[in-house]
Amino acid sequence: MLRQRPYLLNVTLVLIAFVFSIALGAVLIPPGTIFRILGSQIAGLNIIPDWPNSFSTIILAVRLPHTILVALTGAALATSGAAYQGLFRNPLSDPYLIGVASGAGLGAVLSMSLNWPTNLLGFYLIPIGSFAGAIITIVIVYNLARVEGMVPLTTLILAGVAVGAFASALTSFLMLRSDLQLFRAISFLLGGSPMIGWDPVLASLPYMLVGMGLLSVSGHMLNVLQFGEEEAKQMGLAVDRAKIYIIIVASLTTAVAVAFSGVIGFIGLIVPHTIRMIWGPDYRLLIPLSLLGGASALLMADMLARILLAPSSLPVGILTAIAGAPFFLWILRRAKREVFW
Amino acid sequence: MDPAPGQARSVLVSMLKIESLTANYGSTTVLHNISFEVSPGEILALIGPNGAGKTTLIRAISGVIEIASGRICLGEQDLAGLSTSERAKILAVVPQARQLGGAFSVEQAVMLGRTPYLNWLGREGESDRAAVRLALHQADLESFAHRRLAYLSGGEQQRVLLARALAQTTPVLLLDEPTNHLDLQHQTNFLSLLKKLTNEKQLTVIMAMHDLNLVSFIADKVALLVDGLLTSIGTPKEVIRAEHISAAYQTPVEIVAHPGTGAPIIFPLGILDQTK
Repeated sequence: MLRQRPYLLNVTLVLIAFVFSIALGAVLIPPGTIFRILGSQIAGLNIIPDWPNSFSTIILAVRLPHTILVALTGAALATSGAAYQGLFRNPLSDPYLIGVASGAGLGAVLSMSLNWPTNLLGFYLIPIGSFAGAIITIVIVYNLARVEGMVPLTTLILAGVAVGAFASALTSFLMLRSDLQLFRAISFLLGGSPMIGWDPVLASLPYMLVGMGLLSVSGHMLNVLQFGEEEAKQMGLAVDRAKIYIIIVASLTTAVAVAFSGVIGFIGLIVPHTIRMIWGPDYRLLIPLSLLGGASALLMADMLARILLAPSSLPVGILTAIAGAPFFLWILRRAKREVFW
Repeated sequence: MDPAPGQARSVLVSMLKIESLTANYGSTTVLHNISFEVSPGEILALIGPNGAGKTTLIRAISGVIEIASGRICLGEQDLAGLSTSERAKILAVVPQARQLGGAFSVEQAVMLGRTPYLNWLGREGESDRAAVRLALHQADLESFAHRRLAYLSGGEQQRVLLARALAQTTPVLLLDEPTNHLDLQHQTNFLSLLKKLTNEKQLTVIMAMHDLNLVSFIADKVALLVDGLLTSIGTPKEVIRAEHISAAYQTPVEIVAHPGTGAPIIFPLGILDQTK
């Protein structure tokens, strides 16, 4: 059964969503043509073009980078969401709800307002500002929320919402004071729309690979942490080091996603919980499956966002919120009946 | 029956020694200059009123709170210089059952006891699986292996925590009031299991406990803590005496010997005084 083959199922879903994401749009390009256009880019394969020139431009310059960025963003938000949930032992932790995403957004906007990216190097600098924003936010939220060594749900969300709102307000202020270029960039960020072209893809790729790679091997630490920091230490985990590792890596991953795709809520919440319901609480499985599930979930949301109001398109962040909120409530109802947290 | 010379030496080598241990919470000293020793195969029960420092002492020995001065040694080895994971190969802790990690299966939870032995990926090997199977068998949990923790009773959860500590395969076991929330049958089962394992595996056991009657049946040694001071240590008969207990708990008690075993049994006289 597919449930027994979690990786096969999730990799297949990502591949299907990936191809459909490239195929769909104002012009429908059949998957066969997509493969031939992509193949024609590989040296040595001798594929004779039998498609309109515009097709290869649409795919190679627009839809392929867009699709890759959306997949990376979804993967990043879902893995860091899963990691934050494990770290805080709190099912409501999501980069968006605990304010990290807003802090990362502010950092990204600050770095863009100081130095508007005119080349690829400029793009590489944006995630650094975004990362700094995310780390500062998480440190503030964590310390505000901490009560006697625990981070209870209520204080975490309250602190996250407050600090997140503060960061968003600063972002809006910067937006009002900014020139047209920055103004447009910020409105994209706030709505949750991935940037266009190859530069953001190339700029986020190294950070993403490092961040998600390091998160994927943190599963055992997160498992041990589920029994409380004191017990984790008694079981032999260097707790302080593990916490810092996870905070830094999860914040880096979130920050890169936010820097180039803006604030996209609920993916970090819905995907890990769905995976958890189907495949259980083991973070060694949960993190890599959230990576795959996050990619396919955001790709699907993005396709809907492009189709629903075609020919214009909806920011995908709005769509994940519209679809995510009811889904989230359904999870809450189900959690009452069955233990999966 | 005298132990062979070699055995006597190995007991000495692996004796757990607490030497002049002092610990503080902020500026308050909560443990004053505590010293005692426990040998392999022995159960030492920590008793004393609420707030006397039993749990604090367990936490100090396990390394989750820092000690201000003193030493904790296993044989000649001072545990102070060890990394978290090296220490977890020597000391395992059985905490009070709490609602944590409820979605994990019994087997997954027990496997976490192998943490000090796993590589950086957290992948378990055949030796880890064997240790978990053995621990599940010893704690009589084999039929529960795939049940989730949240669906277990208090007694079963406490056995899972014991199995997790056993899977850690340490010479020393620390238990913090493990029978608190258990009924009589489960208290008896848990303690007889602990006694059996202590003998079989020659474990060195320190257990904080409230129920003095259970202590007098299970413990080889009893240490009485009052306000962070070790006021009395010895066999149950030596420590559980009316004058010690009445003074420590500030309530009159009468102690009689169990007709079969001679173990001290406690009657809280304060209850009678109140009803008169």
